[in-house]
Amino acid sequence: MSKSVSEPASEYRLHPMPFLGGYDQVFSGLSLREAVGLAIVSIALPRGNPAGPALEKAFGTALPEVGKSANAANDKYRLLRLGSEQVFVLFEHATADAESEIAALIGGAAYTTDQTDSWVALSVQGARVRAVLARICPLDLHGGVFAIGNVARTSMEHLGTIILRTDEDQFLLLSASSSAQSFLHALETSIRYTA
Amino acid sequence: MSQPHRINGGLTDRTQALHFTFNGKAMQGYAGDTLASALLANGQRLVGRSFKYHRPRGIFSAGSEEPNALVELRRDAHCEPNTRATVAELFDGLEARSQNHRGSLEFDLMAATDLLSPFLSAGFYYKTFMWPKAFWEKFYEPIIRASAGLGRLSGQSDPDFYDKGFLHCDLLVIGAGPAGLAAALAAGRSGARVVLADEDFVLGGRLNAETMQIGGQMGSAWAAAAGGELAAMGNVRLMPRTTVYGAYDHGIFGALERRTDHLADTTGAPRQILWRVYARRSILAAGATERPIAFANNDRPGVMLAGAVRTYANRFGVTPGRRVAVFTNNDDGWRTATDLAGKGVEITAIIDTRKIRPLASIPGVVIMTGAHVTGTAGRKGIKAITLNTGQRIPADCLAVSGGWNPNVHLTCHQRGRPVWDNDISAFVPGGDLPPGMTVAGAANGTLTLAAALKEGHATANAALKSLGFTPSRSQAPVAEDEPRTLEAFWHVRAGRGRAWLDFQNDVTVKDVKLAHQEGFRSVEHLKRYTTLGMATDQGRTANIPALAIMAECTGKTIAETGTTIFRPPYTPVPIGALAGRARGKDFRPYRLTPSHKWASENGATFVETGNWLRAQWFARPGEKGWRDSVDREVRMTRASVGICDVTTLGKIDIQGRDAAEFLNRIYANGFAKLAVGKVRYGLMLREDGIAYDDGTTAHLAENHYVMTTTTANAVLVFRRLEFARQCLWPDLDVHLISATDGWAQFAVAGPNARALLAKLVDAPFDISNEAFPFMACASLSVCGGTPARLFRISFSGELAYEIAVPARFGDAMIRALMAAGKEFDAIPYGTEALGVMRIEKGHAAGNELNGQTTALNLGLGRMVSKKKDCIGNVLSERAELNRPDAVRLVGFKPVDRAESLAAGAHFINRGDPADMDHDQGWMSSVAFSPMLGHSIGLGFISRGHERMGEIVRAVDPIRKREVEVEITSPHFFDPEGERLRV
Repeated sequence: MSKSVSEPASEYRLHPMPFLGGYDQVFSGLSLREAVGLAIVSIALPRGNPAGPALEKAFGTALPEVGKSANAANDKYRLLRLGSEQVFVLFEHATADAESEIAALIGGAAYTTDQTDSWVALSVQGARVRAVLARICPLDLHGGVFAIGNVARTSMEHLGTIILRTDEDQFLLLSASSSAQSFLHALETSIRYTA
Repeated sequence: MSQPHRINGGLTDRTQALHFTFNGKAMQGYAGDTLASALLANGQRLVGRSFKYHRPRGIFSAGSEEPNALVELRRDAHCEPNTRATVAELFDGLEARSQNHRGSLEFDLMAATDLLSPFLSAGFYYKTFMWPKAFWEKFYEPIIRASAGLGRLSGQSDPDFYDKGFLHCDLLVIGAGPAGLAAALAAGRSGARVVLADEDFVLGGRLNAETMQIGGQMGSAWAAAAGGELAAMGNVRLMPRTTVYGAYDHGIFGALERRTDHLADTTGAPRQILWRVYARRSILAAGATERPIAFANNDRPGVMLAGAVRTYANRFGVTPGRRVAVFTNNDDGWRTATDLAGKGVEITAIIDTRKIRPLASIPGVVIMTGAHVTGTAGRKGIKAITLNTGQRIPADCLAVSGGWNPNVHLTCHQRGRPVWDNDISAFVPGGDLPPGMTVAGAANGTLTLAAALKEGHATANAALKSLGFTPSRSQAPVAEDEPRTLEAFWHVRAGRGRAWLDFQNDVTVKDVKLAHQEGFRSVEHLKRYTTLGMATDQGRTANIPALAIMAECTGKTIAETGTTIFRPPYTPVPIGALAGRARGKDFRPYRLTPSHKWASENGATFVETGNWLRAQWFARPGEKGWRDSVDREVRMTRASVGICDVTTLGKIDIQGRDAAEFLNRIYANGFAKLAVGKVRYGLMLREDGIAYDDGTTAHLAENHYVMTTTTANAVLVFRRLEFARQCLWPDLDVHLISATDGWAQFAVAGPNARALLAKLVDAPFDISNEAFPFMACASLSVCGGTPARLFRISFSGELAYEIAVPARFGDAMIRALMAAGKEFDAIPYGTEALGVMRIEKGHAAGNELNGQTTALNLGLGRMVSKKKDCIGNVLSERAELNRPDAVRLVGFKPVDRAESLAAGAHFINRGDPADMDHDQGWMSSVAFSPMLGHSIGLGFISRGHERMGEIVRAVDPIRKREVEVEITSPHFFDPEGERLRV
């Protein structure tokens, strides 16, 4: 068998396609937008080997409690504490090397996995956002219960969802990228039904 | 268009006339009317026919307990049958029709059924239609179904929209009568989050139906003001037209909100919303339901509940009759007489079963105490009543009151049993309530106004305190308690004719006695034998009188007799509301592969695999059927190169210091020594030793693996791994995260697979056989810098790779693969060709890993390592699983190569009868092999590995087929595996 030598392959350069094609719509009292270019890297905290101090140093902020989020000191990264051993880092990052950036930043203190392509991210904002979400989200999103910065895993219309409150009337929703169309449909239907 | 029965007063808006039709006849009502009140205003007493005997029936109540006035609303596909006219809000253009009659409502041909009533008593199904047995399904049942019944479905798909939702509150108040409003006001003023739900479209409950005053104001005016105050509070959600129909675990309630049922045009908005309400505390203030007294021919149109007659007069400004008589066993009934007399309606008689001094004197009214009504006259509407004295009194409406039953239903939804209260002769809530629930007002047996208001207020304050709120300093609204004494009286013994209990299911006093006589004495047996309380009204007006009669028969008290259990829903919930928006394409979410768009553009036919839509084959012009496409895809892949989207396989990212040890315990075969850069096939067992799932796991870097699972089991395996990690071995440092959706993964298979990939892989990565041999894996980049993962694994048996790129590049990647593959005639192949090639190679898949087979059965027995501990290891050694005659996975070829094989066929030795005793195993997968040119199969047969070349019968009794097959190796194509290692 002769040796195959790889040749420059850049003539086939690949261009990314957002899962919902960069969806961006304004409705009465509400806007719904796919958050394109949002990188997601998961951090798993090793057992029996506290990574907290190293991560605090890397991000310039203490790890938030489970169900809370925190911004890094430089405001670039947002840390979502999804479980006792799991943190998601969200940040604007256009290229497909988000994981290596976080891995380098934390210097091996914890395990990292690129999750950018596992999720479709939708930002929903507007005065009637809670009424819209009440049709599909089983969680209590009242401000006194689910404050700005709170984050939770839940399920909406049978789809696993991570919900983050980014402002009084704004939420970021993450759901599986393969079912992005169904997730969008769930939101669009709620918007139509609460119009 | 006149409304002859309309009188002054009431809460309807006389400036807003509404036009509607009943059985095609044009009528008029006002805004604020129900269909029932508008029908009565128009003098329409006859509104329906009974279920079994087709007796003429009229409006009986003014609420959701209505047994008689069931109608069809709207037309065509929008038609909704079995709607209670008493809760249907009138709107302009409403079309209503009566139901369950043949011919017109007035001259129902099926009314002849009533003449057969002596033969149709309780249990007649069981007695009459016993013989011959075969007649039941074909003859008796269709006849019974055609003659008995309710409304008809349109037979069309429901064009309306429905939705669901979730609500959260500190306090849910169920019912907006005096107690509910008092409770909601107290809670709202304290700042708690309150949901106040009521089935009516106007808040106030009986306050709108009575003439009592609160704080010097008319009750209805006070209710309107209270509603206004509550509506202005940001912490209170008012939900009229909303029935809380069920109390479920953990303070969760089901509620049906009717959003557009009262509108002519719904403009695409959801008609109804099914809410799940999460309440920390709840107050049941559902009021009480009046019950009738049974007497002969008490079902005639015009015989109504006394409280309902007051409702029509006071709230709707409608008198149900011109000459009204009252029959009561309690003080409440007298108020019907005084209220109506006050509005100028003629009262002909007041008959009280009690020997009391008359509570009122109205000029010209016959007042009889210690007397009974023994019968009525008038076929399609009452004309007169007869008393036990023989006296006949004219009346076109008889208002009957047998007392009030608290609406305890929701207190019983978690098996709580109500208790009998002798004071009001009714069941009241027992002590065993759903968690967090308290009961106030009439629902709690507190039947008078001032007491109900106080109780609502106090109950709310107690609930608030238990939640840590400081109750507001407001006081309970002030009112006077009305007289309400009662002496239990259930049915009149004298009189000729049937005395009706359950109007909707046509159950009479005699039926209850018959059930007792025949031994059906438990209330649950009584219910099922007579069908009492089993109709859409759930016997709300019928149950207690029937229990009382059963108690009389058995000589027990009602308390000892007990009541049947109440279950959700409190009132009917349409199936459409339960379905919500989950219908058609959106019944379930669907998942698309990264190459879906490209595949749709290129002629793919899709198949559902779990929630995924996968390309099944790619038809080309000229191909006459799927087999043409699939055969071509297999041949072209094996001849040159084929590409298949395999993204749907589960991918689990596994990291941690103990990841290798974890895998070693999860898989039956060894994983401890898998080198970085290598992939291994792994088999998982269930705890009981049965094969669970299989796939490959790649060792990407130190402490970092990626596991693939079958498409179908991706979620289950992930869940199982999480359970093992968190519960079985919490000491291991191992972490999981799903990466299924994160990577677009393509199988590139065939002799030219390497040549194709070489064009895409970035230098200097070397994919030669020497540098990247079979079962190698690596992280690399492709197409000028896109990060990728490459695995040299093969399901097809060809020289093959799987190449993965971040999912956002999946669409670009399939296009790049096809473009780069053009010079090799590269083709996409679908799941069918994938299946054919794996059968040609003898690889097990879902059909083989079916939850019944072991590693030994699959021919993988030696993979189960005995040198380590792993899930399923121990129990896989059970003797029964290791019998020498255990079935083995082998291949099968038809002796006559022209025959096709069928999965599901069972193997029988030649000469043996085809029965279970001689069953040798079964065919699990079959395909036409384009490479071999005939049908091939995989299957399990006893001692299969020792029987190569033997001929057995593949018997398929269901499809009545039998084919002789030869047992062969399962490796039909390239048995030595030479093609994949080149």
